[in-house]
Amino acid sequence: MNKQTLLFADCAAESEQKYSKKIEAPVYEPRHDKPHLMTLCDQSKVKALIREIDASGLPEDEKVFLRAAAWRHAVFHYERAADYYAHATPEMQRLMEKSALVIIDFDAAIERGFVKLCDEIGRQFMEEYNTNEPLA
Amino acid sequence: MNRLPNDFCVFILTHGRPDGVQTVKSLKRHGYTGPIRFIVDNEDKTLDRYRQNFGADRVIVFDKKAEADACDEGNNFDERRTITMARNACFGIAEKLGITYFLELDDDYSEFKFRFDKSLSRRWIILDLDDVICAFLDFYKSIPAKSLAFSQGGDHIGGFCGVTKLKRKCMNSFFCSTERPFRFVGAMNEDVNTYATLGSRGDLFFTFTSVQLDQAETQSQGGGITDMYKRFGTYCKAFTTVMMMPSAVRVSMMQSNNPRIHHTIDWGRAVPRIVPERCRRV
Repeated sequence: MNKQTLLFADCAAESEQKYSKKIEAPVYEPRHDKPHLMTLCDQSKVKALIREIDASGLPEDEKVFLRAAAWRHAVFHYERAADYYAHATPEMQRLMEKSALVIIDFDAAIERGFVKLCDEIGRQFMEEYNTNEPLA
Repeated sequence: MNRLPNDFCVFILTHGRPDGVQTVKSLKRHGYTGPIRFIVDNEDKTLDRYRQNFGADRVIVFDKKAEADACDEGNNFDERRTITMARNACFGIAEKLGITYFLELDDDYSEFKFRFDKSLSRRWIILDLDDVICAFLDFYKSIPAKSLAFSQGGDHIGGFCGVTKLKRKCMNSFFCSTERPFRFVGAMNEDVNTYATLGSRGDLFFTFTSVQLDQAETQSQGGGITDMYKRFGTYCKAFTTVMMMPSAVRVSMMQSNNPRIHHTIDWGRAVPRIVPERCRRV
């Protein structure tokens, strides 16, 4: 569950009614439980396709191509991958990062930048509508 | 009041509508004071009219066939009436012009608005777009994202939930940098194809929901990509993304004022989660 933060404090009462102060952080907070590795990726469609390819009368080079293509149907559950990442060894974490199974928000750049952007856009809104007339 | 950086420019991607480029009027009405360039392809029969209307130095022409040949169109329709080539050409054009940051816009925007609550009235119109663009650029420069976008009405279908979000998508408007190049893929649904496929491989694309642009309804305006959608139907459009991301995208019906076949993305399966650095063990 993404956390929500209150933003844009101390606004005029009338304007305050006009917009929400809530923001939803773009960063995922991993859960405490470590999921089973098998639940991170659903390969059921991949396996069904590969069974069909193997049973076919196609030449081997075509089978090789189709087997590779079948992996496009592997379903990765990225929340579970992030949960697993939080409990993984440093070596596993580095390889998960390289494979883009998670994205690390280094120095909280994304989270802080987002809060700053919300703050800035909220300030502009307040400035424009406390001091300027709306467009005709 | 913030000043726009010198290495920034708005690119309006347009085709066949030299007398109907609503975006340029809207930008000025909303207080944008920076440079604008019109990105037009060399197959556009109205090219001279663009030059006449906006000035030859502000109309940048690119080789559409060359761009199409360098792009995975995702079909064999041999149909180039699509924006994908222009989107990809912008990176090279920006480099030639000495521009680092640019904002790709379509040519049919009517308004730019704040979007903080459910009601949308003209009272929410942005008066100083320069300030908004500066804030977006500051954010864009501070994060490793490939691109950043304003929201659209479609992002709030079902009602605005009252929460400002950073969605993992980019459509229609694209803040880009020559220092973070990427290629759009697919002749149809190129924005969705791109943020879905590249997003699944770890590239970041964001939409900030509390700034919204309004445009003419898709498939209702003549010219440009609209004709292609009419010809091939929106099933082909949506299915392009399914082909590229079968594990996370399916075709479904979009219920709106204009119900039509559309793509649906299962975001839990589409893009990796962004996690705090403290989860990282060393």
